[in-house]
Formats: sequence, structure tokens, C-alpha cells
Amino acid sequence: MTTIDESTVIAEQETDYGTPRVASDETATVTVDGREVSVPAGTSVMRAAAEAGIEIPKLCATDSLAAFGSCRLCLVEVEGGKGTPASCTTPCSDGMVVRTDTEQVQDLRRNVMELYLSDHPTDCDGCARGSCEMQKWARATGVAEVRYGLDGASHLADTTDHSNPYFDYDPAACIVCSRCVRACSETQGTFALTVDGRGFDSRVSAGGTDFLNSECVSCGACVQACPTDALTERSVVQLGMPTRSVVTTCAYCGVGCSFKAEVQGSGEDTRVVRMTPWKDGGANEGHSCVKGRFAYGYAAHDDRQMEPMVRDSIDDEWRVVSWDEAIAKVADGFRAIQDEHGVGYIGGISSSRCTNEEVYVVQKMVRAAFGNNNVDTCARVCHSPTGYGLNHAFGTSAGTQDFRSVEQADVILLIGANPTDAHPVFASRMKKRLRAGARIIVADPRRIDLVRSPHVEASFHLPVRPGTNVAFVNAMAHVIVTEGLLDEEFVRSRTEGTDGYLEFIAQPEHSPEATESETGIPAPELRAAARLYAAGPNSAIYYGLGVTEHSQGSTMVMGMANLAMLTGNLGREGVGVNPLRGQNNVQGSCDMGSFPHELPGYRHVSRADVRDIYESLWGVTIQPEPGLRIPNMFDSAIGGSFLGLYVQGEDIAQSDPNTQHVEAALRAMELVVVQDLFLNETARFAHVFLPGASFLEKDGTFTNAERRLNRVRPVMPSRVGKDEWQVVCEIATAMGYPMSYGSAAEIMEEIAATTPTFAGVSFARLDAEGSMQWPVTDAAPHGTPTMHVGQFVRGLGQLTPTVYVPTTERANRRFPLVLTTGRILSQYNVGAQTRRTPNSTWHPEDVLEIHPSDAELRGISDGDVVELSSRVGATRLTALVSERMPAGVVYTTFHHPVTGANVVTTENSDWATNCPEYKVTAVQVTVATEASRAEAGEAPEAVSHDMPVGAMARHRR
Amino acid sequence: MSGDVPPVVRLGHDLVRNFEALPPEKAAEEIATHIKKFWEPRMRRDLVARVRAGEVDDPLLAKAAEDLLEGDVDREEVKEPSGG
Repeated sequence: MTTIDESTVIAEQETDYGTPRVASDETATVTVDGREVSVPAGTSVMRAAAEAGIEIPKLCATDSLAAFGSCRLCLVEVEGGKGTPASCTTPCSDGMVVRTDTEQVQDLRRNVMELYLSDHPTDCDGCARGSCEMQKWARATGVAEVRYGLDGASHLADTTDHSNPYFDYDPAACIVCSRCVRACSETQGTFALTVDGRGFDSRVSAGGTDFLNSECVSCGACVQACPTDALTERSVVQLGMPTRSVVTTCAYCGVGCSFKAEVQGSGEDTRVVRMTPWKDGGANEGHSCVKGRFAYGYAAHDDRQMEPMVRDSIDDEWRVVSWDEAIAKVADGFRAIQDEHGVGYIGGISSSRCTNEEVYVVQKMVRAAFGNNNVDTCARVCHSPTGYGLNHAFGTSAGTQDFRSVEQADVILLIGANPTDAHPVFASRMKKRLRAGARIIVADPRRIDLVRSPHVEASFHLPVRPGTNVAFVNAMAHVIVTEGLLDEEFVRSRTEGTDGYLEFIAQPEHSPEATESETGIPAPELRAAARLYAAGPNSAIYYGLGVTEHSQGSTMVMGMANLAMLTGNLGREGVGVNPLRGQNNVQGSCDMGSFPHELPGYRHVSRADVRDIYESLWGVTIQPEPGLRIPNMFDSAIGGSFLGLYVQGEDIAQSDPNTQHVEAALRAMELVVVQDLFLNETARFAHVFLPGASFLEKDGTFTNAERRLNRVRPVMPSRVGKDEWQVVCEIATAMGYPMSYGSAAEIMEEIAATTPTFAGVSFARLDAEGSMQWPVTDAAPHGTPTMHVGQFVRGLGQLTPTVYVPTTERANRRFPLVLTTGRILSQYNVGAQTRRTPNSTWHPEDVLEIHPSDAELRGISDGDVVELSSRVGATRLTALVSERMPAGVVYTTFHHPVTGANVVTTENSDWATNCPEYKVTAVQVTVATEASRAEAGEAPEAVSHDMPVGAMARHRR
Repeated sequence: MSGDVPPVVRLGHDLVRNFEALPPEKAAEEIATHIKKFWEPRMRRDLVARVRAGEVDDPLLAKAAEDLLEGDVDREEVKEPSGG
């Protein structure tokens, strides 16, 4: 098991430089209190001083926010200058001489601080525990007493807002520095907070209501920015300040934010006090969302199953056993199936929530110990078309840019993604760029927040009808080609298949006018949007599962690649084709050889030269033919030719489509092994349950959507006594194939030694560099933020005629509506983690969004329980009548097993990758009668409607 | 609907729909190559058996199965990286 060397734990206090870093080619050299320091021109005096090791007192300044200059605590003297300017708003000029500690400055600061303290609680808990900066600055400025007394007007009697489940707002401790307000606007881009009133009456306000019912999205930026105890994590209030910290990576979405896990205690007694966003995190640069920042409590939830369990039949009770007994049952059971039926009758599924190292050993176990290629990963049901399509077009199964690239984008084409809910930290970056003047085209059936929200207004909202993406993207390309908007030089010099494609796409059938009836997008709108995208000059495509989870998911990915190539929007910052990955390690799990036809690094199993690498290292023969994909496993199980399955950290019974089909497959198997934190839905069909470790207990790496390898560092030892990779090794060993590693770092060494794109990766290098984006090679020793510069990985980019093939899942008289599914901000995927946190405050149930006209036609009112039925099944949800939906389309999430959204989704899938067509299901919606509800065993009062009304429950609008 | 169609035939039909805009010979070759590259051998055998048994009435899928039987697939393309 991983041992935690606490001497290697990063516990440094992050330096707050007061104002943001400035990028400039010019340098200014200044002297601060006799110390000379050179900084980029335009840097504030405050930051220059900090870089020289001199901390100037400050309250309204922090380096994540633009200088504001309101607190007047950071005054300095500048030689030859007038007065005492605020150092935060004073830029350095070459030769400037600054004094930060003159008597005049000290007097002024003392007076300012005295005024602040006259309206600050003398018994401030934060000052006592160190979470409030007031005492620190009082000491630094030498304020020993408040001459004005404490009997005057004050805000000390103001009541605390406890409405948010994660933090309190205590206005008595608030100094109205507006850091929280500015963090909400500048960092998060939500604009939920404001300063109400004037003068002495000025108060920070969540829009005139409490935090829970406001537009606040609980990202924590305000809490992070607050210099006092006015906004404090409730966990800090309850537990006190942390005593050490570990920098690690969030285990939620594919943004892959770096966090400082701040903890108390050590070893098994370690307790997380809070997670704070890591300023040097390459993906998030100090920002966070409600999931990563606050929803970590599931790791310590009582529901966690901590001991291995077995049972002979899924109708039996579980029996707690030792690790040895559980592993023996797994190994003996799998071998027995193979001995009786054949080598190919078992397989494994790896998880995008697990580390690269854990995923690597799973595919190794399958290939070396199981002796087949029946390994797949949950990317099958989300972004497998991304891998297929981008590899086909560019030669790499990954996005082309880093997240920072969006700061250079002029036009953003957002297709089938809802970043403010599903990738919120990246959405904040995107919104920041939009506020700076970039324009956005939103192609999505729903009117998502990025269509219109504070300080964001899409230039075009193209409500593309579900299932018609390829017709849409072809129409965009048609306009670009036929109107002569393409980048001729790029197309001629960097693409192949060019003439055939140009001839194909110029055909009139692809015109916006011809496709309008199919896509639902008015031709003039689409033409104008295509012109805007082509005009750029830097146009970037960002997309999500609204692209991939279709019967033509892979074709659509190629279609977007075509668009980018036609317009030359590749190979530099600000452009590209960028998948927003769903889970934290989707990219990594694909990279690690989790697909049944590929070894690590996307190399086909039929390649003898690649098999040789692993065969010589592992001492086994690797099958040269592909194995079964997840849907193939289910079909084969029902057909009797697949009988044993190991599932790592993935709840296929809830997340995969056509639940009845999945459950039938699981029931048909002789041995199902589930390794997870919780007894999930899939575990209902398992014969062996192996407890898993949370991300706080793991040592390894995650690879995010921008190909960035981030370290996952253990905050505490595994609470179940073993690392997950260790368990996998023990299963393989028990099956007769000895597998062992001394540490996760050793696994990465093997990955780097055998996979060219990871050649330069090691834990030591990641620790030294912070993070690296693959490929990391001799040619790119620090990684590759932007791909395909000058040349595509495959040489020339492949332009592919993308023939639009309508899905077979069409609305008809019986099922006249189309259901599409997605996520909401506060919940994550199947909800196994977030449902076990206070995040359920905002989303206690999945609801069905329906357009007012569709609702009226069916006699449905807001809050009614409705029956949602498709050709494969039916379920019940609470209706939410919403104009966010277009008529004819309904929407729900799949976060709650009780709703079982996938009861109605079908087995339709992407032609190339079998990624399920979650986004298109023909359905009918009716008011659920009391009789039908009773038949389903549902009490009429079972559904709670007691939800907050603010932005976090935005599906309510 | 498709619940009665054997899985390999359903998946084969998906491929046919995607490639049928190509000339038939080329379409059959693309389908066969895709199947060779991504389908587990038992699935391929299942498809071929169903074609032989006359259970597959789509001529393009039947031709692709013939190509598979005759090894008429682009093995170099199979080896190319694919993702997905």
C-alpha cells in the first residue's frame, strides 16, 4: 500500500502578491526599501515589493483580482512623487524608488486600520483562529487600541446568513472591501454579489436575498477572496484551521483543477478541513466550483463500504470476508469460467474516475492475466467518438489546445456543451474572454446560460434539433466553401482529401436553406454564424457530449475538424477543436490502453511491433485481435458468450443506456466483480464487492481535457487497507500471472518506458514542473500545450466528406417528443459522490424540463409528476415547465438512480464507436395518474419540491 | 424494433447506413475494414454465419462479410491509430 511520506507533503503558504501578474516584454527595475527588483512593465508597486520579499499591508487587494485601491492600507511613498499613492494601483516605472515603511506611511496605515477595527468584532473568532487577516494587519500596523471606542454606530449586531450549506456570511465581520463582489464578477463571472447601500450603510449583498436563494453558484471564489471572517467555510468554523496541506487534483470533471487539501492530523486520523483551489494549477489557476471546492464529504460518508464482501448468488445476503478470500473468489471464479467456456468469456471495465496508473494495471491484468483484449472504459459511453474523429482528422485522440488558449480566441463556437454546469471553472475562463470582447455562437437545443447571462450574450443561438448535428456542421462548412471564406493556403498546404471534400460539401443539399427543415436552424442565422466563425481571426470550437452521444457522434467530430481545417483555425493559440471531457480522467483512461483494440498510446493490437514491446516486458502473448466493447459485452452476456466481468469505479447499471438491457446482461453473468466506494446500482448484480479508495487516498496522475497530467497525491492512507492498483495486481497474481509494483510511480515508469507520447513523464518531473501536457518527448520535454503546430501529427489533416445520416430514432405519433439528457452544476454523473454531500440541497431529484406549449398540450403543470416513456421503458419525474427548452424537446439529468433516466434511453449508438445515443430518444410525456404511481409503488408525497429558487437550481427557471 | 435484430446485424446496419453513400465496392471494403479493426473475432464469425444462413438481407453488409471471409481488408489501415 502507498505509504505517505509527510516530508514530501507540500505545505507551503501561497504568497499573495496583491495584484495579478503582468505580461510584458519590457522590464521595469525599481527599488523598494533599498531592494532592487526587476518586474514586467506595468506591474504594481505592491507586487514588485512582494517579489522583493516585502509584504505591504493590504485588505482590498489580492493577486487573483484587478487592483481596486479602496482600503487605503497599502499606501507608500515614491521618491519624487506627490503624496502617498496606493501601491496596488501604482504601476512601476523604471528607476522608481519606493519606501513602504516611512513614518508618514505608518501613521496613515495605523489610522486607517484603527477605523476598520472600530467596526470589527473584538471577539472575532477568525482573528483568534487565524482565518481573519484583521489581527495580522492590526499587529503589522501597530494598532494597539481604537481611540474612537466601540460604542458608536457599527454593524456588529448584523445577523449571520447560514443559508448556504458550505459557508457562512457574517456581515459583522465584513469590511466591505468588495473582494468577494469582484471575485464573483471577475473570477467566476456570475455577478451574484453586490454592495448595497451607500457610505456607512454599504453592505455586501447576494442580490437582496440570502446566499442559498440568490444567483450564487457556490464556487467559493468569494470565500477564497475574503480577507476577514465574513465569508468562512463552515468546516473551518466547526473544525478550526488546518495544520498541513497537500496539493492534489480534483476527482470530478475533466477540467482537472488543482486543489490544496488542507487537513488536520496525520495517518489514519487525517481529517480534511477544506479544499482550496491551487493558484499554480495549470487548469484552474486558483479557481474552483461547488463540486471540487466543497463536495468532498462523500469520501468520509458512512455509506462507504470498507470491507470486501462476497455472495454466491445476487439473491443472497452479502458476507464480509478478508481481502485474501475475496481476491481468491475473484481469481478462482474467473479462471473457472475460462476453463469451462474459453479465454474470451471474461473481461474488465476501467474507470475514468481512477488514476492513469490504476487504469493501466487494469488493462494489463486483462491482457496479461485474462489473456484477451476484453477491456473497455467508460469513455465508451461519452467521448469515444472524440478519440475516433480527432484521430482520423489530425492523428491524435485528444483536443488541440490548452485551456489558457481561450484567452486568445475571438470567436467561440460552442456545440453541444453546457460548460457553466458541466465544466464550470473553464466556463469562467470562457466568460472572462467574452466579457473582454470575444463573441460566442451557441449551438444547442436548450437555451443554456451562455446564450444569455450577466455580461454574456451569444451572437447566435442555433437551437439545433437533436440528431441533426452533422447536417448543421455540413451547412456551416457549405457556407464557408461556397462563399469563399476558407483559408485557401492552409487547406492547400496542410490537408488531404481536399478536392473530394470540397466537391462534396459544395453540393446544394448541404446548404443552410436545404437543411433548415432538418436542423430547425433558420438559414439566414446559420449563414451569419458561419461567416462569423470564418472571420475569426481566431475561432475556437468547444464541444461536449451533445456532439458525441449521437448515432453520428464520430462523423460530427470529423465535421468540426473539417470546419477548423477549412478556416485554418489550428496550430496556434486561440483556435482549435476542443472536447470538454466529462470525467476527471477520461483522457487518461483512453490514453492508457483501455480500449479493446488498442494498447497504450492508441496503438492497434494488430501491430506486432507494439505487441512485442509489451510481450517482452510482461512475458506473455498478447492477442492480436480486438476484444469486446462494453455494449458488446452486454450483448454477449445475454447471448451466453460472456460470463465474467470486473468493473472498476463505474456504475454501468445506472449510467449506461437501456437499463433493462444492462441489468439483463449483468444477471446473465456468473461472476460480476465491482470495485467502488459505494454499493452502487451495479453492485446489486455483483458477486464480489471490493472496496475502493477515494481520490484523497490515491497516489497517481489524472490527465484532463487539455492533455495535462496532474499529480494526485495521497492526503491520507487508503481507508480500506489497499491501493486499487494493488488489488488489481493481486487478482492477476492469484490468477497465475504475477504482477506487482512498489508504488504508483513505478507504474508510471513502465508507462513512460513503453508509450512514446509519455516518454518524458515521471512523478519526479511532474512534481518539479507542476504539470505537463502530453506529448512529453525529447522534442517537447516540457510538454505540448498546442498541438499540430506547422504539421498535423498524421502529417496532412484529413478532410472527410461527412455524409448526414439521420438517426433511426425518430419521433412519431406514439412518441412525439425527443428526450435529450445532460448534467446540472451541483451534481456529477450518476451522483454517487455528490448525492452524498450537501450538494443535493440544490438538486434533490432529477426533473423533466418541458416547453410550455408541450406541457399545455398534455395538461402538465409545473411540479406535476409525469410519466416519461419510450419504446424501451418508462419512468416518472417531476415536470419543470421551462422556456429554456424548444418545443418538441424535453430534457432531464441522470444523477439520481430513483429516476433512472436510462430506463428510457435506447441501445442506438455511434456507428464507429458504439457510444450510446443518449441525446436522442423518442418519448411521450403524460401526467402520471395516481393509479400508475401507486402501481409503481410511489407515494404521492414522495417527491419534494422544497428547493432553493436561485441560480443553483437554475433548471427551475 | 431493433430488439429482435441480432446485435451484430444491428451494428452492421449502422455501418451500412454510414458508408452506403460510397460506391458499393468501396463501401463494402470500408465496412469490412472497420469490422476487422474493431470487432471481436466471435462477433465477426457470428455475422459471417448469419450471412451464410441467409439471415442478412442487406447486400452491402453481405458483401462486407464476404470481404472479411476473403481477407479483403486493408490491413495497413487496420493498424493505423484510431482512438475511439
